[in-house]
Amino acid sequence: MKRTRTLLLAAILVLGLLITAVGCSSSDQPGGDPAQSSDTGQNEVFNVGLECGYAPFNWTQLDDSNGAVPIQGTQEFAGGYDVEIAKIIADGLGRELVIVKTAWDGLVPAVQSGTIDAIIAGMSPTAERWKTIDFSDHYYKSDLVMVVKKGSAYENATSIQDFSGAKVTAQLNTFHYTVIEQIEGVEKVPAMEDFPAMRVALESGIIDGYVSERPEGVSASTANPNFVMVEFAPGQGFEASDDDVAIAVGLKKGNPDREKINEILAGISEEQRLTLMDNAIANQPSAE
Amino acid sequence: MSADASFFQWVAFIWEQNWPLFLRGAGNTLLIALTGTIIGFIIGIIIGVIRTIPVDHNTTTLKKGILKVADILLLCYIEVFRGTPMMVQAVVIFYGVAMVYGIHLNPISAGIVIVSINTGAYMAEIVRGGILSIDKGQFEAAHAIGMTHTQTMTSIILPQAVRNILPATSNEFVINIKDTCVLSVISITELFFNSKSAAGANFRYFETFLITCIIYLIMTSTVTRILRWLEKKLDGPSVYTIHGSQTVPEAQFRIVDGGKLHG
Repeated sequence: MKRTRTLLLAAILVLGLLITAVGCSSSDQPGGDPAQSSDTGQNEVFNVGLECGYAPFNWTQLDDSNGAVPIQGTQEFAGGYDVEIAKIIADGLGRELVIVKTAWDGLVPAVQSGTIDAIIAGMSPTAERWKTIDFSDHYYKSDLVMVVKKGSAYENATSIQDFSGAKVTAQLNTFHYTVIEQIEGVEKVPAMEDFPAMRVALESGIIDGYVSERPEGVSASTANPNFVMVEFAPGQGFEASDDDVAIAVGLKKGNPDREKINEILAGISEEQRLTLMDNAIANQPSAE
Repeated sequence: MSADASFFQWVAFIWEQNWPLFLRGAGNTLLIALTGTIIGFIIGIIIGVIRTIPVDHNTTTLKKGILKVADILLLCYIEVFRGTPMMVQAVVIFYGVAMVYGIHLNPISAGIVIVSINTGAYMAEIVRGGILSIDKGQFEAAHAIGMTHTQTMTSIILPQAVRNILPATSNEFVINIKDTCVLSVISITELFFNSKSAAGANFRYFETFLITCIIYLIMTSTVTRILRWLEKKLDGPSVYTIHGSQTVPEAQFRIVDGGKLHG
């Protein structure tokens, strides 16, 4: 009986040690304790979450060429339009930029829990997202396009109604997916997790096209000659509100830095934005 | 790279361009999956042993009470962690702890903890099955000669049970190597997440994921081989003489000088 109790005690001890071990290693993390720094009011780091897999907005590369920033906890670097904007914002706030590579679905919980300070990941400030997090003003505005396979019947479409009967999808939890319903008689394929998944689906013929934004469409069609971007004539495209086609910085509800970030964003001219986007499209890894 | 390059030329090119990305991703995957499964295995053994503590008319009420409470708690643990997806557990634990307590865990450590407790829940049931597979007579014999539950477990039951559950443990290793890919939601740059990054940059999906497939296959088959070897080692030689057998002449007891028994 004594033995049993010793065993039970040992089990509790092992679990306790495990938890302590995790606690210790988390404090070893370089520059990775945003809560502690914000508790003491110092806030030297600016943790930004993004996927690093949505060129030309953000991507992963192996060196620091073209102004790429190290990704926390890895030996890789992040580059792209979002990263350039993040650099400007961090500079303006006087804080050190830390890039936290997180999958799309992890971004909102990460910002809500304070694991990251901001989402700068090509995220649109949709009404649904406003319910859970705050957004800054827009830092880019784009048009909705459709990406299709070269040589397909939809290659020369000019109106979204030309996609009647086509199998169309978009990224899960994005407004891209909701606008598909504007096409009459469309075959709406269940939403996919991310752009890589949709591009695989398109290449293999599971879908006829996916809804995207212009920069992504330009990049996809330049990088892979099997893809063609379809742009729509004015008034023939998807109807979407400004908040839907623009992208903004996602912040935790009530983040006091929001005003400051808006000021910084207002200081970036339209020309500078275009230049940054053109550079991003030209510098993305597939453009080599 | 010219546009008319063949599929395999692209595969070679992507490997050349991104091999550190793939290898570092595979490293993280292996680290989390292997450490997580080993810790999970230990958790499983501890829970399996606790849950098979015998209760009879000699057991005191206090001990019965403690065992009952422990049993309920462990059952809850098993049900919750076996019955919910690992991705959900990752989000709830990693971001939940940050939100409620303001504690920001290191993603890799958090990943190891999540895989460990998840595997622990599965292993607890596998170990219990392993212990139950040992003949009841062995428990009775051990108790009859006055062994405690711990002694019975460590010297008699577990060595046999662990051998019996090795194939199931091998399954857990393989499952964990593949399932760690859901941990990308908590910023862990494991193999699949890094492959998606590579594909997101070069827009060549089949070529990139073919490399990913091969790396996963190498990792899973290596782990399977190692455990198969361990199984063989635990089995011992297939040809052996039973100690003290009276039908095999070499095994007979002989009295030698000094009265010592030799096999």
